[in-house]
Amino acid sequence: MIKVNGLYHSYSKDENFAVKNVNFEISKGEVFGFLGPSGAGKSTTQGVLTGLLPIQKGEVEVVGYDIRHPKREMFNKIGVSFEQSNVYGKLTALENLEFYRKLFDVETMNSMDLLKWVGLDHVANKKAGEFSKGMKHRLTFIRSMLNNPELWFLDEPTTGLDPAIASQIKDIVKEKNKQGTTVFLTTHNMYVADELCHRVAFIIDGEIKLIDSPRNLKLQHGEKFVVVEHLENDVLKKEQLSLIIDQDKARLNEIISTGKIEMMHTKEATLEEIFIKVTGRGLE
Amino acid sequence: MRKLWMTFLKDAKLSFNGLYFYMEIGMALIFIAVLLFVVPENFESSQTFYVTTELESSDAENVGRFLGDSDDVTMLSNRTEIENAMKKDRSSVGAVIKKNEDKFVYEMVLQGYENESMKNLIKAGIEGEILSQIPGFSSDISVRPLEQDSEKLTDRINILPIYLTMNVGLMGLFIIAAYIFLDKEEGVIRAYAVAPVEVWQYLASKMMIMLMMGLITSFITVLAIAGFDVNYLYLFGLIVAFNTFGSALGLLVSSFFNTMVKAMGVLYVFIMIMMIPAISYLMPSFNPFWIKWFPSYPMMFSLRELLLKNGDQSYILMQIGIYLVLGLILFIAANHRFKKTLTV
Repeated sequence: MIKVNGLYHSYSKDENFAVKNVNFEISKGEVFGFLGPSGAGKSTTQGVLTGLLPIQKGEVEVVGYDIRHPKREMFNKIGVSFEQSNVYGKLTALENLEFYRKLFDVETMNSMDLLKWVGLDHVANKKAGEFSKGMKHRLTFIRSMLNNPELWFLDEPTTGLDPAIASQIKDIVKEKNKQGTTVFLTTHNMYVADELCHRVAFIIDGEIKLIDSPRNLKLQHGEKFVVVEHLENDVLKKEQLSLIIDQDKARLNEIISTGKIEMMHTKEATLEEIFIKVTGRGLE
Repeated sequence: MRKLWMTFLKDAKLSFNGLYFYMEIGMALIFIAVLLFVVPENFESSQTFYVTTELESSDAENVGRFLGDSDDVTMLSNRTEIENAMKKDRSSVGAVIKKNEDKFVYEMVLQGYENESMKNLIKAGIEGEILSQIPGFSSDISVRPLEQDSEKLTDRINILPIYLTMNVGLMGLFIIAAYIFLDKEEGVIRAYAVAPVEVWQYLASKMMIMLMMGLITSFITVLAIAGFDVNYLYLFGLIVAFNTFGSALGLLVSSFFNTMVKAMGVLYVFIMIMMIPAISYLMPSFNPFWIKWFPSYPMMFSLRELLLKNGDQSYILMQIGIYLVLGLILFIAANHRFKKTLTV
C-alpha cells in the first residue's frame, strides 16, 4: 500500500532536513505505527505521503500512485484524520460530513451512521463551532472514514480524548482493520501503538531508527522476569524471579503451589522503555 | 462541475452564516441612502459674484437689469459693501463696473489668495459668462464647449462608477485573500486538499462567491440610483469581467504569502494604486497618458459609458472581453501557484 524509498524533506529547502533517508513499506491490511516525539518528522512524512507537502527527494508510492505525479482520484482510496481538528465551524456536524461526502467518486458511508458511531448523532444539527475539542476531534476522525478508505492515515487519533472515547476510537480502528483497511498511525502514545499496530517504526530527528512488531521488540529488549507479591506467614513479600534461571523457576512454582499470591505480573518492557533504550530519548 | 457546484454551495452557506455577506449588503444600502438622501443630484459649485457700478444712473440701471436676475450675481451699492460681503464669504469675488470713453470696463476685486492662473480663470468667467450679458460690453473671451451635444451625468450617478470599481474590482482583492487565509487558519484547506477535488475548483468557488456578492450589491445600487434606464445586460457583463479580474488578481497576490498579515501590505498598495485613476475620473484635466494603463481606469470609464444614455457600446464590450481574458490568465497563474503553496 505504501512504498517509501530514500525520502528527504527540508522546509528551508537546504541541507537542514526534517526527514532524511526514510525507507519503509506497508502491506495491505497492516496497521503501521510511526512512533516518535514531537518534531521527530512524523507529520512531515505523513504530509508527503498525503500530498500535502511536495516531494523533494526520494520515491514514494501510495495505493499504487507515484506521489511525484499525484492524481486526484487517489484520494478516493485514502482517508486522512488530522491531529488538529479542522472542520467548518459555521456548518453543522451533518453539513460538514455531507459536504465532503459529495466530493467522492466512490460509494460513501452514511453520515448519520458515522455520527452515531462516535456518539455525535444527538448534535448532528449543531454548528461544529459550538463543539468541545473532543467532539471536533471525533468529527474530524469520522470525516476521514466517509469514503471507506483502503488506506487510512491517522494522526494522533486519541490525543486529548477522555479514556472512554479513546477506547471507542481504538475499537473503530480495529474493526476497520479487520475489514481490510490499511492504517498508517502517527502517534507519540506508546499504549495506542502497542494496542493497535502490527509493526512500529521509531523515528527521531527525521531518521527511522528501527522497524519491527511490538511483540518482537518486547522479546528482544524486554526483561524475562516475573514480579510476585504473596503472603508468607501473614507477611506480604515481593519477589522478582527470572524465567530463565532454574532456581528462580523452581521458586516461582513453589509460590504458585503453596503460597498465597496477591499479585503477579511479567516484567516485559513497554514500547516507551524500548524507545528510550534504542534512541536514548523519551516520547514526550 | 458537480464538485465545483458542491464547493460553491458550501461556500455560499458559510457566507450566509457569516457576517461579511450582510455587511456587504448593508454597506451597499448605506451607500444608496447617502446618495439618495444626503448627496444632491448635482453639487452647487457656484461662486458668488458681487457687483457694483460707478456709472451714471441710466447705465447703472441698465447693468442692474441684466445682471440682477442672475442667481450667482449680487448687486451692491458701493465698493465698501463688496469688500464687507467678500470678507464674510471667502470664496466670493467682486467687480466694479465703470465706463471709459463710452466702453464698459471693470475692476476686479479679489480675496488676495488667488494666483495668476486662478485670476485668469476668474477673469474668463466674469467676462465670458456674466459681463457679456450687458449690451455694449465687448470682450475677446468667448466660452464654447468642445462637444456641443456632450452628455453629462448627474453628480449623483457620476459617483456610481467609482463605487462599482471599488466594490467589484478592488475590494475583491482583499476579501478573496481573507477567505483563503481564513481557510488556511482553520485548517479546512488541508481537509479539502485530501479529497478528490482539484485546486482550481476550490479557487473558482471562492471567485463565484465574490461574483455573487458583486452582482447583488451592484445591481441593487445601480437600480436604486440610476433606475431602469441602464442596459443591465452590459452591467452584468462588466461586473462579471471586473470581478473575475479583481478576484483572480487577489488570488495570485495571496498565493505568494502564507498569512493575511503578510499579504495585507501588498494588497493595500495594490488597492491604493488602483484608486489613482479616480482622480482623472473626477478631474478630467488630470489625465496623463500613463494613468490609462491602470486597470481601474477603463473600469471606471466603461461603467460611465454604461450609465450614459448614448454610451459607447463597443468600448463597453471591448472592456468586458479584455478583462475576462486578463482574469482568466491571472486565474491560471494563481492556480499554478496554489498547486504548490495551498497546503504548505
